[in-house]
Amino acid sequence: MEVLQLKKKNGSKGTKKQQVSHKDGRTIAEINEKIEKGDVQVLTAEEMKKLVENSGTQVAYNEVDVVTTGTFGAMCSSGAIINIGHADPPIKIQKAWINDVEVCHPGAAVDLYVGATKMSDKEPFEYGGGHVIEDLIRGKEVELRATAYGTDCYPRTRLETSITKDDLNQFLLLNFRNCYQRYVCATNSRNETIYTYMGKLLPRFRNATYSGAGALNPLMNDPDYETIGIGTRIFLGCGQGYVIGEGTQHNPGNRMGTIMVRGDCKKMDPGFIRGASFTRYGTTLYVGMGIPIPILNEGIAKKVSVRDEEIYTDVIDYGAPRRDRPELGKVNYKELKSGKIAIQDRTVKVSSLSSLKKARIIAKTLKEWIENGQFYLSAASESLPTDTTFAPAKQTREVSFVGTIIQKPVTCREDEEIKTVAKRIVGQSVNHIVVVDKQGRLKGIVTSWDITRAVAEDKKKLGEIFVRKVITTTIDEPLEAASRKMAQNKISALPVIDRERKVIGIVTAEDISRLIGGR
Amino acid sequence: MVRVLLRFGKEIVDQPITSEIILEQGTPINILAAHINQEGGRILAEIETTNAQKVIEALRKRGVTVDVRNLIEVDDDKCTDCGACYSLCPVNAITYNEDYSVVFDGEKCLGTNCGLCADACPTRAIRLIG
Repeated sequence: MEVLQLKKKNGSKGTKKQQVSHKDGRTIAEINEKIEKGDVQVLTAEEMKKLVENSGTQVAYNEVDVVTTGTFGAMCSSGAIINIGHADPPIKIQKAWINDVEVCHPGAAVDLYVGATKMSDKEPFEYGGGHVIEDLIRGKEVELRATAYGTDCYPRTRLETSITKDDLNQFLLLNFRNCYQRYVCATNSRNETIYTYMGKLLPRFRNATYSGAGALNPLMNDPDYETIGIGTRIFLGCGQGYVIGEGTQHNPGNRMGTIMVRGDCKKMDPGFIRGASFTRYGTTLYVGMGIPIPILNEGIAKKVSVRDEEIYTDVIDYGAPRRDRPELGKVNYKELKSGKIAIQDRTVKVSSLSSLKKARIIAKTLKEWIENGQFYLSAASESLPTDTTFAPAKQTREVSFVGTIIQKPVTCREDEEIKTVAKRIVGQSVNHIVVVDKQGRLKGIVTSWDITRAVAEDKKKLGEIFVRKVITTTIDEPLEAASRKMAQNKISALPVIDRERKVIGIVTAEDISRLIGGR
Repeated sequence: MVRVLLRFGKEIVDQPITSEIILEQGTPINILAAHINQEGGRILAEIETTNAQKVIEALRKRGVTVDVRNLIEVDDDKCTDCGACYSLCPVNAITYNEDYSVVFDGEKCLGTNCGLCADACPTRAIRLIG
């Protein structure tokens, strides 16, 4: 990083006066006056941390008026409100699509909400609401299609047109959960690659991912919400936006605070607002956000000096398809940013899903805006809550696990004759026979269909025909996850194994449907 | 080292061309990845820079298609320098530099012979060749 360069003050008299006022703390009005005069002192959060490290919080507080922060990451609870104006004859839109992405219609006749994670009917997982927002911001023309039931006042039932952002009355970003203070680090214990909202996770802890800018993150620099509140003006997508409240799932006690924001998309830059696709998970929107932290007192100066190595997060096993996933340890953002972390005694490469480069550019840009008098600070009209928590969903139906419907497995050994196995299938009236070794460990599986084909092809030994690559489950896996495995792999049963790969039972699609049908 | 992608048509796929050239030219050819089926074969290999030209000529003479392009193309306009790809690369062809830019080393990349990173890119900025 370059050497910190504080702007030269306007003579010693001004400095003295400033020092006096500091005893009672700085006000946002005073900072804005300095912005107007052009002698405001702004540092990015990274620069401020260096200054505090070298000169202490008191000097940092005396010298610096504003610290800028930044983050650029996938923020799924995002979207844009658009108002398309009335057609003639007019329509009360019931359903609408932009570039084949369904845009829901929560309000009056022609207000639409483009949700970031809504996926295109034609290109799901590749193009979605986030991409629609980006394309509109880029000035591209998009195809709008709408249908309606028709009313006396809104007789039209169909509308097809192409629009650009210039044709919209309002085009406002309205994100209800953005800018997580920090987030977990994800990895995967399973034997297969999984595709998650935390990106692609290779089998057996071969990689990890994380998100967030650590010590540069906006909310991390005001962890007690002393300055960030309703009405705080922010950098949003390279335009100026506002914090309009706490975000959903706001959990500041756990250092997992979030905010709700609004901004004018027409003034945004696609460099800082991007549609994105997470393979086999869905689409989203990358949002660039920066919040200025006014250094109103020494306490705030101390808080913005928080460093990456002081911000810890949990390493979580996303291989477990549960709400409460196993925690494998803790890491700090310094380790995460180094690209390598330790998980269970091994070194694992860790990817950032958010762009640290862009986070820095955002903090720097916001600093320049303030220095150049293009951006004034706003005082919050109301503080954000600091005591909310994030509770799990109320479930009126009990979750069922594999253990509830597990059946005793019918097994065989790989050196058995196909005929013997066929007899066992008939005798026990099952469709699946699990192939095990002497110790009862899983070797493979064979179905009645495999046997039928083997007979048709005149094969004798089971070893020639059984399937060796078997998808398995465990006794504590939720049935939802087990049935998803079956559907995805187009199979109808899963052997249940323990830690030593010993077969302790089997679950079949039939048993699952019986359970669901029965309740 | 020069990274080359060798394509063998089905009429020559059963011949020991690579070994013959190693013996004939007296230079090692390091095979990084190989795929063979009825349609032909494909080898991703490294040749020592000093002998590269001679080896490539010898391969072409025997009917092997030799490609020396970089096996990864990254669209800088689409890439946001997040680094979602970084932890997936088995050969460390993807790194961060000091300003957290994500850097791709075309000489290390295995292209579609590996392909682990491409579908992890949120903005679909990575195109692999091979």
